[in-house]
Amino acid sequence: MFVALFLMCCGILGIVYRRTLIAMLISVELIMNGAGLNFVVINRFLYPERVNGQVFTLFIMGIAAAEAAIALAIIILIFRRFKKIEADTLKEMKD
Amino acid sequence: MLLADIVFVIIVLITMAGATMTVLSGSLIYALMGLIATMFGIAGLYIYLSAPFIAMMQILIYVGAISILIAFAIMLAGPMFKRPKEWTKPIKFISGVITALITFILFISVIMRAEWKGLKAEPVKTTTSDLGRALFDKFMLPFELISLLIVISIIGAIMIALYSRKER
Repeated sequence: MFVALFLMCCGILGIVYRRTLIAMLISVELIMNGAGLNFVVINRFLYPERVNGQVFTLFIMGIAAAEAAIALAIIILIFRRFKKIEADTLKEMKD
Repeated sequence: MLLADIVFVIIVLITMAGATMTVLSGSLIYALMGLIATMFGIAGLYIYLSAPFIAMMQILIYVGAISILIAFAIMLAGPMFKRPKEWTKPIKFISGVITALITFILFISVIMRAEWKGLKAEPVKTTTSDLGRALFDKFMLPFELISLLIVISIIGAIMIALYSRKER
């Protein structure tokens, strides 16, 4: 439980702190892992006779896979167009 | 101290060290290595939580698929040694730490209020067949929606790649 919380806080810190888009995506993966671990922990310790938490963790894994695929495609597209993946240098859509 | 406790502590340490390395390291490749270490640690934690199927899927999907995908993206994004380091301004680091600490304290205070009844319970017997039965019985609609979502995301990724190819 504490490990899951630690993971989630690391993910939030990473989103704020890192510079590139890929690092932000890695941080999002950390947050999703923390959420899945939380689901399994709560399922194990609060409702040990059901399997709902594990099923939801499977769903989270599927969603994370889809999200990673789409986000990486978009990042590659951005890199091809602007030749950089730093988030604070992408100013074209700001105005 | 039992052997299981020692292994559990080692797994927790691997997980937390991997997460720290993911967030704080200067290079993207090192961050990815930390992410993979974290995934393995979480798989071990799943085994300790008596969910071996989830642990196997964790290794298959995260370590096998998503990490390789991120590695491909990092390599496609050009040579890493020419890039500036990942560290941004320290004001951003301080604000991130403050946000993370606020979230941590909030969640801890909520969790400590919960009633942990299963701590001393017997080892649970939810097997993989139980999981599959629940997946195809109670959660039929979300399961199909997830598969639809994955198909749509694959088509979307292919379309993005195609259009970017056409514009050049």
